[in-house]
Amino acid sequence: MIIYQYIGLIIGILAMIIVILRFREGKTSSGMLIFWIVLWLLIIGASLFPDTTSIFANLFGIGRGLDLILILGLIGSFYLIFKLYTMIEKLEMEITELVRQIALNQETNEPSEEDNTDKEYN
Amino acid sequence: MQKQSLNHEDLQKDIFIVVPAFNEERTVTKVVTELCQMKYMVVVVNDGSHDKTYPIVKKLQKKYPQQISVYSHPINRGLGAALKTGMEASLRKGAKYIVTFDADCQHDPNDIDNVCEPLKRDEADVVLGDRNFDDMPLTKKLSNQIMNFITLIFYGVKVNDSQSGLRAFNIKATTLLEINSRGYGVSSEIVREIKKNHLRLAEVPIKTIYTPYSIAKGTNASVGLQILVKMIIDILKKI
Repeated sequence: MIIYQYIGLIIGILAMIIVILRFREGKTSSGMLIFWIVLWLLIIGASLFPDTTSIFANLFGIGRGLDLILILGLIGSFYLIFKLYTMIEKLEMEITELVRQIALNQETNEPSEEDNTDKEYN
Repeated sequence: MQKQSLNHEDLQKDIFIVVPAFNEERTVTKVVTELCQMKYMVVVVNDGSHDKTYPIVKKLQKKYPQQISVYSHPINRGLGAALKTGMEASLRKGAKYIVTFDADCQHDPNDIDNVCEPLKRDEADVVLGDRNFDDMPLTKKLSNQIMNFITLIFYGVKVNDSQSGLRAFNIKATTLLEINSRGYGVSSEIVREIKKNHLRLAEVPIKTIYTPYSIAKGTNASVGLQILVKMIIDILKKI
């Protein structure tokens, strides 16, 4: 085995332990647990048997296994960034709505002079 | 219909002027006082200002308690968010016509009658104040023309002045408008909503008062660029 295979194996196992611990603490949903376990198992598999990646790469018409991983990694990262972007946008919208409701409610709760004058006239 | 002269005693209770204010302590008194003197109902939305805008407006409210309502965003959420808050508040207070009016002294309050006229005659649902680009400083003129062009390309609507801060809406338009952008992009978004909801649009020439202060605020080239990027992303999201 070459050194990067050991590194891949160790990182994969550590990451899985962290994901499982987070799941037990209730910080990760079961869907995300499965997603991360599968992903890290794939990474461990790819580092232990580097040749298998070439088989998949050939299926997609890409020469080397490493290229396939890099391409998938890039696509995955872009997807993640887009996901984050939409999530932040949604959060921003929710904050705005919250701020709006606070502003609108504050005005109605506040006994302003307007109400007093209305009473005087009535 | 009520008389429009400055001297009449009755308040114009169906016309609500929404004034979004973010750090406008230098101009907000003048703008709001003028509007009150013209007997309009004024809704000031303090958009998380860091300066004395809020206390100043609160003080003004004591002077014109029947006319001024103040709403305050605890944190700054941008022009679009402030306008939406103001419009929602006006609807709750029973507005018939809602006018948006910048707090930086660039509009002439006498123009409010002009922009409301097509609404009152039921000839339009939305009226955009059309500033004369020839009066503008060159950079402003250019960035506004670019924004008009962008609005035309992206939303397919040709308007003379897409970024104008003086606009008037009737109830139908106000309830139909779906405003999501928080910043200055709201102006283009309003144009998009007009087309989407098949609202009747009218454009009325208005005066613009340029002071060094109002020039520094509002749409400039960099804000224009930000709006463009946001529009592209919005379209990408729909694909």
